[in-house]
Amino acid sequence: MTRELINRFLIYLLIAVCTLWLIIPFTMAVLWSLVDPAEPWTADKLMPPVVSFYRWHNMWVNSSLKEALLNSYTLAPSAAILTLLLAIPTSFALGRISFPGREVAKVIALLPLVVPPFVTAIFFTSLLFSLGLHAWRFGAILFAHSVLFLPYAIRIMTVSFEQVRQDHIDAARDLSASTIARWRVAYLPALKPGILASLLIVFIQSIEEFAIAFIVGSPNFVTIPTLLFGSLGQDFVRPNAAVLSLILVVPNVILMLFLEKLLRSANPSMSSGKGMA
Amino acid sequence: MGTVQVNGLQMRFGDFLALPDISVSVDEGEFVTLLGPSGCGKTTLLKLISGFLKPTAGTIHIAGKEVTHVPPETRDTAMCFQSYALFPHLSVRENLEFGLRQKRIAAAERDQRLDRVAEQLKLGPQLEKLPNQLSGGQQQRVALGRALIMRPTVILFDEPLSNLDAKLRDTVRMEIRRIQKDYNLTAIYVTHDQSEALALSDRVMIMNGGRIEQIASPEELYWSPRTSFVADFIGGANVLDAEVIGGKGEDHWVLSTPLGELVAASGTEPKSKKIKICWRPEVVQPDGNGPNRIETQISERSFQGSFTDLFFTAAEQTFRVQLPEPTVRSGENLAFSIRPQDIVMLESMQ
Amino acid sequence: MTWRRWLQVILLLTPGLGLIVALIGTVVYIAIVQSFGLYNLTGESLLSAEHWAGVLERRAYGRAVRYSLYIGILSALFSVALAYPLALWLRKPFTGSVAVGAILKAPLLVHGLVAAFLFINVIAYHGVLNQFMQWIGLWEGPRRLQNDSNAIGVLILQTWKNMPFALLILTGAVQGISDDVLDAARDLGAGSMARFRKVIAPLTISAMQAALVIIFIGAVADFSFQVIAGPTNRQSMAQLMVFYKDGGRWHDAAVVGVSLMVVALVGSALLAFAARFILSGRRFR
Repeated sequence: MTRELINRFLIYLLIAVCTLWLIIPFTMAVLWSLVDPAEPWTADKLMPPVVSFYRWHNMWVNSSLKEALLNSYTLAPSAAILTLLLAIPTSFALGRISFPGREVAKVIALLPLVVPPFVTAIFFTSLLFSLGLHAWRFGAILFAHSVLFLPYAIRIMTVSFEQVRQDHIDAARDLSASTIARWRVAYLPALKPGILASLLIVFIQSIEEFAIAFIVGSPNFVTIPTLLFGSLGQDFVRPNAAVLSLILVVPNVILMLFLEKLLRSANPSMSSGKGMA
Repeated sequence: MGTVQVNGLQMRFGDFLALPDISVSVDEGEFVTLLGPSGCGKTTLLKLISGFLKPTAGTIHIAGKEVTHVPPETRDTAMCFQSYALFPHLSVRENLEFGLRQKRIAAAERDQRLDRVAEQLKLGPQLEKLPNQLSGGQQQRVALGRALIMRPTVILFDEPLSNLDAKLRDTVRMEIRRIQKDYNLTAIYVTHDQSEALALSDRVMIMNGGRIEQIASPEELYWSPRTSFVADFIGGANVLDAEVIGGKGEDHWVLSTPLGELVAASGTEPKSKKIKICWRPEVVQPDGNGPNRIETQISERSFQGSFTDLFFTAAEQTFRVQLPEPTVRSGENLAFSIRPQDIVMLESMQ
Repeated sequence: MTWRRWLQVILLLTPGLGLIVALIGTVVYIAIVQSFGLYNLTGESLLSAEHWAGVLERRAYGRAVRYSLYIGILSALFSVALAYPLALWLRKPFTGSVAVGAILKAPLLVHGLVAAFLFINVIAYHGVLNQFMQWIGLWEGPRRLQNDSNAIGVLILQTWKNMPFALLILTGAVQGISDDVLDAARDLGAGSMARFRKVIAPLTISAMQAALVIIFIGAVADFSFQVIAGPTNRQSMAQLMVFYKDGGRWHDAAVVGVSLMVVALVGSALLAFAARFILSGRRFR
């Protein structure tokens, strides 16, 4: 029974730590984002004296927030789709064809994760300069994101392709299904969770990516992270930074919860796939 | 007092009473098997004896010392796991030495014990291999050796043979029995396989729903089961309801049953007026001239090699009879008799 | 394999693996070549080691390397050291363990820059922490905590962001050890320390190495935490590189970039090796 007591104590301790860890910082951010410029929130007051959505409105109208949101939310889905399209052929080869050097290829696919992002960013810009392509920032960032996040998509899709059951494909062929019908019937159901997971992960990564967007994009092309970085630096206005932080964090939480649910629901259907080819 | 003495042991998991009240004693050098269907509490009892579970009531003594609240790491028991539970990152030698190093046994004695176990279990050539390089049978022997090398007061087996194929199982089973005798080990063995239990044990403890149904030698269990559960679980006896309608002589009892009037003389007294009785399929006398004569129509016939199973139905109950080379076909009539000493009187009817 | 099959595999690999190799290969190639004076974007290319000699001579370079190593190693160690006991605690499910796991992993969802803002907001000169310490009477006046000279702020942020990641990897590894194996160790007389040292640690060492290396590479190349919360008189290697690049000194930036890659590779190899050396069960036998 002592274990139970210890567990209870640890849980209380953890809740206390988490209050410090999560709740206080976020509450502070929410409060700061609501401070009305009519009266500043000085150190001697427990709560902001005047509360309003002025800062939210102001940021929306008078800053590059709209532009950043537009940029980020065009960039991320484009990158997600492009990455998936680039990843599928490689994943098919890695997951369903056995060739010498396959394991080496799987390791090489992880390369972008090992090279520090700022090194990639700076020398990618250097490459763009020498090719004369540095003006086309959106395309450059999109391309860089797609390649940099390929490891995630390749990894997930390779596993998905491995999960496709040979007997399903054989059964489809046996029932004289065409190539397209075969893909729809045997491949797609097994690949679907992987496709969704890849799209979501690349989407989230791209929304959050800072190094490439900062180095390649600055100063004219803003995304939410670079805008936030800017507002934390030279032109630091606490309430504005609070607004931006909250805007950046909320979609992530929702998407990640969705991803978690997706991965959990995908698991049982996969574990039933015994007798794999 | 036995080497392992369990008194009034109770185990409760939340609302679920796994073991209400178990008392049992195992003598030195004895091989006792816990046998029962899954969920009967046999593994729980083994985990209590090894110390992985703490009982909610009752005591456990090993070699005269109370160990009820002693953790497994300091208990003088060694366990052979169903999954073998070999350390995958350690070689066979390191696996075997693991316990001795924990107990800080001197190097000279450690080597000596290791050589002895390796030789006995024919593990010499495997010593430097990792567990995943071994066959199932070899892994099983390493698990056995890892427990044996500890020279524990009591060695515990948790269904150790269930992951082996049938042929290997017979060999390893004999090996376990031989080594147990050689070392004069006290052994407690959990299984759900009745033939394993009957072949290995000095005594078998049949468990059902957390209770002990009967503890006895394999022969006694087979020929004198005390309850209908035991009669059915061991060898599938024919169990039926009976009412005692009178005595006949000193130890003969006349019973009214769905098969008609039967006379029993198996040495026990009926526990009440309404009881359950049983007889084994192979005890029938084919001549049909003796006492307890039964004539019936055979519904099903199934050849089993050295004998043939014959089935018949009476009072909506199916009975089984075994005969060496019967000529009777399905649909034909068969007459046989049962000697009164072969009819066993069991518990009272609820 | 026939040549047709090979051709098929190569064609399939080209858009994915091919692009990765092409881009990363080019980037690394440019970095190396530029660090030796070639590939000049503005003037004439000249093969020389003078950029290396020049940058290596500067005090800022040595300080940046030492500082980045300091951040990288300590962040990796703190994250793993915090995550290990938590992973062991969460190995077996218990009432509330799912909630605990979710709370612990929450920082994975929060962007590093947001975390940095939240953090400096809390430790600001008139922030809640200062207010609280004055209120309980421990501090007499507000203290300046932001951009502290020992980079404790950066370390806290790195650990905050990376610990959940280490926890994720280690939980998987720890849960992969079967109960029977741990029970067997207990049964053979191993107490909780011996079980950790001889069974759990050696069986989870690859997961721990992976966590150490990935966190180290991320932290050693840190830019944004350093700029926002780090000491103002120090520069991390990434910061130094960006500084040179912004000044148009591409060759110097390349020297720092190549150094950063080397530091990341050598550092992770050393960390992985040290982890194996210290935690391997065989050494203790």
